[in-house]
Amino acid sequence: MERKPWHKNPQILMAGFALLNVAMYLLLHKFWIGGSSFLPLIGKLGPERMFLLAFIVNLGVIAGSLISAVSSGEFRLRWPRGRQIGRAVFGGVLVGFGAALAPGTCTTAFVVGLPMLSVSSILSVAGIFLGAFLVFCLTRGE
Amino acid sequence: MPFWHLALLCFLFGTGFGFFVQRGGLCFAHGLGEIFVGQPKRILRMFLVIFVITGAGFALSGFINPDLGLKPLGQLRGHGFFNLLAGMFFGAGIFLNGGCILGTLRNIGEGNLIFVLALLSFIPGMALVVYGLDPYLSPAYQVHNLILPDLIPGARPHHVMGVLVLAGLLALWRLQPPRRKAIEPEKSRAGDLNGR
Repeated sequence: MERKPWHKNPQILMAGFALLNVAMYLLLHKFWIGGSSFLPLIGKLGPERMFLLAFIVNLGVIAGSLISAVSSGEFRLRWPRGRQIGRAVFGGVLVGFGAALAPGTCTTAFVVGLPMLSVSSILSVAGIFLGAFLVFCLTRGE
Repeated sequence: MPFWHLALLCFLFGTGFGFFVQRGGLCFAHGLGEIFVGQPKRILRMFLVIFVITGAGFALSGFINPDLGLKPLGQLRGHGFFNLLAGMFFGAGIFLNGGCILGTLRNIGEGNLIFVLALLSFIPGMALVVYGLDPYLSPAYQVHNLILPDLIPGARPHHVMGVLVLAGLLALWRLQPPRRKAIEPEKSRAGDLNGR
């Protein structure tokens, strides 16, 4: 197997992501927050505007993805179609419900919570596996 | 630090995260799908790299600044019952809409507009919990915040992390794909000539 160049090697890219995670914690004493970062959309800014800052991080994630996608020729405008819309909306409602029911229950549990050895994240990840597996079993035939 | 400086730095860190996530193709919704169909190696390798570096970095940060180090994330609600339940809703949701939070943001950046709809749909789900359920459920939350070493008598956080980082490195080494030796051009050409 030929070795991929560093800028296409997922493990090196994830190492870059992880180093940024640590640098952000060291410099700003904050880390990437997923689910709760959308609470400003329903008027909750959090203590010391923490959720608002997390929302700004997420705007940066969109901007970074856009820069990367455009520069690598992967950017393509795709419009929602038919059945996709129902799944996206219903899935989105469930995501919002889950993320708000127990703070820290989202992708953050994988990339920040588990490396923090946070017990709430370990349980959240177990729940995420169960929920996703249930939907996988129900939709396998589609 | 003034709020706007902090906001700018947050945006710049986010841009970096977005770049790496897009280039690396990270999405845990897809990753879970790969695990369920029996092809878990790619997402496990990516997760282990993140776990080893971030975990070691977070643990070591406590030596640099005592305010940092390993800390519980989010809230342990109802002795973990609500975390498990919330995880199930979240897991079902990301599998239905096809993107975890990072995956959703990444897809928006790539121009996939269905994920804008998915993101906007978080709003009614969150509002239902925050304004509808929280007032009734909050007495049952009994919030605790724990990290794993708190559950192991006598364990120190950086010792537990050290063991897990070593285990992660070992797993990462075992998951590496085998390397094939490249065929030397001279031999290859000779082989072709002999073949003729």
